[in-house]
Amino acid sequence: MSEVATRWAGQLRAALALGALVLAACSSGEAATIQALTARGADMGPQGRVPQFKVECAWSHSATDDPIVHPGMPGRSHLHDFFGSTATDAHSTPASLLGTDTTCQNRNDTAAYWAPAVLRDGEPVQPTGSVAYYRPGPGVDPTRVASYPAGLVVIAGDPTATDPQPLDVAAWHCGASPILHSDPPSCPRTAPLGARVTFPDCWDGERLDSDDHQSHMAYSDAGACPSSHPVAVPQLVFEVRYPVTGDPTGLALASGGVRSLHADFVQAWDHAALEREVRACLNGGRVCGVVSNRATG
Amino acid sequence: MTRTARRTLAALLAFGLLAAACGDDDDTTDASPTTDGPAAGRDDDGADEGDGGSVTHRVPGDFDTIQAAVDAAAPGDLVLIEPGTYEEAVDVTTDELTIRGLDRNEVVLDGGFELENGIRVLADGVAVENMTAQNYTTNGFFWTGATGYRGSYLTAYRNGDYGVYAFDSVKGQLEHIYASGSPDAGVYIGQCYPCDTVITDVISEYNGLGYSGTNSGGNLLIVNSTWRFNRAGIVPNSGSYELCYPGRENTIVGNTVHGNSQPDTPAIDVALLAMGNGILVAGSNRNVVERNLVFDHERTGIGLVPFPEEEANDVVPPEEDWDRPCEETRDDPLPDLDPADLGFVLWDAVGNSITGNVVSGSGLADLALGSLQPDLAALRNCFAGNTFETTAPEQLEALAPCEGDPTATDWSAGALDLGALIATERPPAIDYQEAPTPEPPDQPNMPDAETAPAQPATNVPFSVDLAAIAVPERPEGT
Repeated sequence: MSEVATRWAGQLRAALALGALVLAACSSGEAATIQALTARGADMGPQGRVPQFKVECAWSHSATDDPIVHPGMPGRSHLHDFFGSTATDAHSTPASLLGTDTTCQNRNDTAAYWAPAVLRDGEPVQPTGSVAYYRPGPGVDPTRVASYPAGLVVIAGDPTATDPQPLDVAAWHCGASPILHSDPPSCPRTAPLGARVTFPDCWDGERLDSDDHQSHMAYSDAGACPSSHPVAVPQLVFEVRYPVTGDPTGLALASGGVRSLHADFVQAWDHAALEREVRACLNGGRVCGVVSNRATG
Repeated sequence: MTRTARRTLAALLAFGLLAAACGDDDDTTDASPTTDGPAAGRDDDGADEGDGGSVTHRVPGDFDTIQAAVDAAAPGDLVLIEPGTYEEAVDVTTDELTIRGLDRNEVVLDGGFELENGIRVLADGVAVENMTAQNYTTNGFFWTGATGYRGSYLTAYRNGDYGVYAFDSVKGQLEHIYASGSPDAGVYIGQCYPCDTVITDVISEYNGLGYSGTNSGGNLLIVNSTWRFNRAGIVPNSGSYELCYPGRENTIVGNTVHGNSQPDTPAIDVALLAMGNGILVAGSNRNVVERNLVFDHERTGIGLVPFPEEEANDVVPPEEDWDRPCEETRDDPLPDLDPADLGFVLWDAVGNSITGNVVSGSGLADLALGSLQPDLAALRNCFAGNTFETTAPEQLEALAPCEGDPTATDWSAGALDLGALIATERPPAIDYQEAPTPEPPDQPNMPDAETAPAQPATNVPFSVDLAAIAVPERPEGT
């Protein structure tokens, strides 16, 4: 047997073993913590149902920096994985990020996206990539969605949470599965673990940031933005993918437990390009890209 | 078969996908140069008024960039592009434009591995003609959400996802296309039923897949084209991660499909999984595969196989729902399913008709039918009047005739070994930027590019005389 064939035979055995592993995980699932949430995401389903554009961005770097929460203080934060602009550090501002190199497939996206590092037995797990979906909020009229203001800064999710967060804010899932979990599930090798943070889609129309980095934004309700935050903007759903399958025991986040999932966004797109995507795809009611759950090579 | 066994087999099938997961890493990191000039106003002074009020906008005569000309054009207008290299990603949001190069081989849109799409059409009735798009990070030519679209005399070379891509679009014509060097399909049509689209006179080679379509079909004709030297040739398929599943009712007639075992192309996982097969109906249904010439494949010439999907969004819809148009099903509420019932879906190939094809030189079988379910007859696929040497299972045309009762009943003899089909060595994918995809040879130009009037895609698809199509002659030198 050639070396390659031997390796394939090994993988074949591993695949068989995986089947058993998946079954074992399924049968023991009821033993999970009682507070854990598992549900189908309210807006989850096949892509193509609502207008969207998406940007796939490779992992850029990891650092204990946080230009939103600890600006100008390198090393002050828990460990973050950064995506998008390759220049993001503790000193970054929306203006400084504009025009920098990016890990995103769309080179006009020089925004910064980051999330706390996933730790396995205390060791950071390097993500395999990320996807930023931009859509109208659930039920929101796509023709009324305005582009983000330049320089918008926002955090979604609660970095201090120890109880489950709403799954339509912060959740774990496997591959493209519509089933969301407050705690990482056991994922098959064809659909590895992902973390998903859904950003608010309504803006107060005035502030680019706020003291808690959240209250200038709000979530729409039943397709409408609240009067306090009247401007419908795209809903960013940011997913990070990890090379993590099988037993989730030993996973944590650099910010705390697995329930402290959150993500940060510094809007530093090329402004004209972002406006074009919002107008052409969201206002125009078109699906400008989909992510296959059959991973690309 | 129990859920347990299905899951295990799914793991086996999926295993082909795993091998590729670490391969391609194309995160170039240069900032994007944008070549869009300042938006020019509508420039009627330098434009020609044609018949019926159609205005011709010349690039670079009237506008410095294709984008500026497109932005200035009104429905019915013609954008006419002189030879040159255009480092642009053009968005089209005006209906019923005709965008034409004056020389297919010398009007080159080049993404420089930085820009996403050569021409992205977000409007109805737009025709794109007679040009080349190369080195884009996603697609050469892309229509989405269009009612009415046409791509004619297009060359798509070395693009990061698809060469020519139509998604969620209906009433289309893709003709005289040359597509090479993409890891996914050279030509792809997804998420439409009925698609009402014709694909004809295509050469698709050195791609991961020659043709692929997920959840597409319904008056979708794939005819008179050559699909060769890809990892796999023609692969209609299904998946619940997009709407309009399952794929169904493609009419695949009069194609030349050969040598789709090419080891050194870029390739997505599905292309690796499907490698070495000519026409692989992967969980797509009610397709007609007729009078094609298929030869030289490492695995099957024409194979009907199941397509597994892990962590699926839905289950396979009941067959009575397969007649419902996509426009109708897209508004269905999300399926209200117990999470325990979601997860693994096996898309079987059901109700396909394989007739009058000439198939030879296949490593596993010229004609093949496989499933994870034991009762293959229940899938109601049929085979008749084909010219072939081998089938799996043996006597396939006697087991599954298209008319009359079967004259054989032993489905086990020489059954297709899905494990062997899947779990054998594949050469790894090569980054699309690095793969040794040959430079496209000069391709024929459209007739009268300089003088032909604008022809928006309001009259497509053009009719096809299916009955007149004969099995192609074997090309010289093959």
